[in-house]
Amino acid sequence: MFSKNPYIHLILSPQHLWRSMSLGAKSIWLHKLRSLLTALGVVFGVASVVAMLAIGEGASHEAQEQIRKLGSQNIILESVKPTDSSGPVGQSRSFVIEYGLNSKDIKQILQTIPGISIVVPSRIISEVLWVEEKNLEASIIGALTIYPQMRNRTLAAGRFFNDLEQDNRSPVCVINQSAASRLFPLSTPTGKTIRVRGTYYRVIGVIEDEGQRATTESVSQGNSKSGGNGSLAQMIIPFATLMDNFGDTFFRFRSGSFDAEKVEFHEAIIRVGKVEDVVSSAAAVKHLLSRNHPREDYRVTVPIELLRQAERTKRIFSIVLGSIAAISLLVGGIGIMNIMLASVTERTREIGIRRALGAKQSDIVLQFLIETVLLAGAGGVLGVIMGLGIPLAISHFAGVTTVIKAWAPALAFSVSVFTGIAFGIYPAMRAAKMNPVEALRHE
Amino acid sequence: MADPIIELRDIRKTYRMGDLESHVLQGISLSIHPGEYVCMMGPSGCGKSTMLNVLGCLDQPTSGQYFLGGFDVSKLNDDDLSQARCRNLGFIFQSYNLIQQLSVIENIQLPLYYKGVPEHESRAIAENLAEQVGLSHRLYHKPNELSGGQQQRVAIARALSNDPLVILADEATGNLDSKSGNEILNIFDELNRAGKTMVFVTHDERMVQRCTRVIRLRDGLLDKDEPGANANRTAVFEATMQH
Repeated sequence: MFSKNPYIHLILSPQHLWRSMSLGAKSIWLHKLRSLLTALGVVFGVASVVAMLAIGEGASHEAQEQIRKLGSQNIILESVKPTDSSGPVGQSRSFVIEYGLNSKDIKQILQTIPGISIVVPSRIISEVLWVEEKNLEASIIGALTIYPQMRNRTLAAGRFFNDLEQDNRSPVCVINQSAASRLFPLSTPTGKTIRVRGTYYRVIGVIEDEGQRATTESVSQGNSKSGGNGSLAQMIIPFATLMDNFGDTFFRFRSGSFDAEKVEFHEAIIRVGKVEDVVSSAAAVKHLLSRNHPREDYRVTVPIELLRQAERTKRIFSIVLGSIAAISLLVGGIGIMNIMLASVTERTREIGIRRALGAKQSDIVLQFLIETVLLAGAGGVLGVIMGLGIPLAISHFAGVTTVIKAWAPALAFSVSVFTGIAFGIYPAMRAAKMNPVEALRHE
Repeated sequence: MADPIIELRDIRKTYRMGDLESHVLQGISLSIHPGEYVCMMGPSGCGKSTMLNVLGCLDQPTSGQYFLGGFDVSKLNDDDLSQARCRNLGFIFQSYNLIQQLSVIENIQLPLYYKGVPEHESRAIAENLAEQVGLSHRLYHKPNELSGGQQQRVAIARALSNDPLVILADEATGNLDSKSGNEILNIFDELNRAGKTMVFVTHDERMVQRCTRVIRLRDGLLDKDEPGANANRTAVFEATMQH
């Protein structure tokens, strides 16, 4: 007779759940300050989850963006000025410092290492660009026509130089956006001319900026002087034109003294046919270079290795982040449990009344569980709001990229609800297990 | 005679505290029929509270059988006992025991909520009962905004909301002044006249004057079982039942 309740399904009907929830909300509202303080642990836990996920995603997004620009099939070789700038052994006190990659290296790489589809060397020098009275210190890159494809760079306006211009050693150039905006702030750059050391170059295109990475060390020094914000100013001209006009020795006056560097190639990009071969080819290249260059005057960058490294870093970051979030949610959960236990004791008589009026143990469990989940969930909502605000503030004030994925707030919120359930079960069970007679007698 | 609503067969209740056993109820057998208005009396410690807890399905007897509405409830598990309370019993307490966060109407609806009655139905029932006890104008007040007599009237409405077989009360007039006590007693009279079966634990002599049966307990045993001042009312009620 008693076990067949025709209304049993109604206890869990939306209408009844809604009533239980509004009841729970009421008793939370009854103790506003207490509830707020209790939920605070969860608020901070959830906020830190959301914020750190956003920062982590931002960092990894930035890394991936950079790597995408460098090209995952590429191996990038750079010439680096050796730390002891005294010149090669045996060549005493020459004032011309000779270092870096040369055509012999390039030839050997092409001949001995299989699977390499192309090697594109380039030279980079630091010079002052003139447009009428305006000047700007920029790096001038001598490159081949396939440079934009190799570096995954797109043109914003105009075109890149072609094979004909390259073969004719034409005085044409492509400048990047930051150079364009500083040299031609009010007009379109294409068709204008730029003067460098007495030679005029016609601007035929504008290329998009390259992200944060400095191309070589010497150039980043040059840039720090020009003090521009954002990307470095760049001017790209045909490789042959650069060799004609600037030779292979680069002179520079620096704080009264004079030094000269002789570098054949500042940079070379090796494209490997298959992505799987990149790591092994890179190892071979490193081995070859280490034989040719007893001094460490080069640097090998393998974007795909950077990607792996970025993933590793992200994983470590995730573990750290996860532990911090777990600890704060644990603390928050314990706080909630503590208050709920106190609340159960405080409301012993109410529990007794409800039991006397026909509430089953499960009804009592549900009531307290709903209350805990509402409390934790409200904390979760506040935490998500706060957690969305923190990355925005960080991006705004610190200039760090943050990426908020849609799943991050959802995950953080569900974690808060889960915390509510996990830490609410015990107090709710305790409430339900009370003896109705004793509960009714409780003062 | 109609079948009894409550039938107790040799109910015993023993509490064990360490090595000490205290036999609170020592074999009580009695029947209560529809329409009876029973006052249960006795000196403190006679077991009448325990008796009320057993009758109210809040506590299980150690041995013996308890038939409520014809079904043995003495061996039910916790969930089924809750259901038995929910569907067959109405409680009225000395200290009203209303839930403070809930409004008058919500308090009256509470047993229906646990019974699973849909909101619109339970609301209609509760409004109707509030009117009967004269509290239609106080539906959205909180219990602490009401006087003692008003609170007890809410409790009565609540006890009636699930249309129980029996109303159980523990010193229902104990906290009230004589005027509001009388008002409450009048309501009980009306309910009994309408055929409600009621079992009240009381010390109130006025109640004895109005009831149909007085049961006196002493040391966990039935001491006296005698007709009350209105005993003939039950007879009249039973006569109408048989037609």
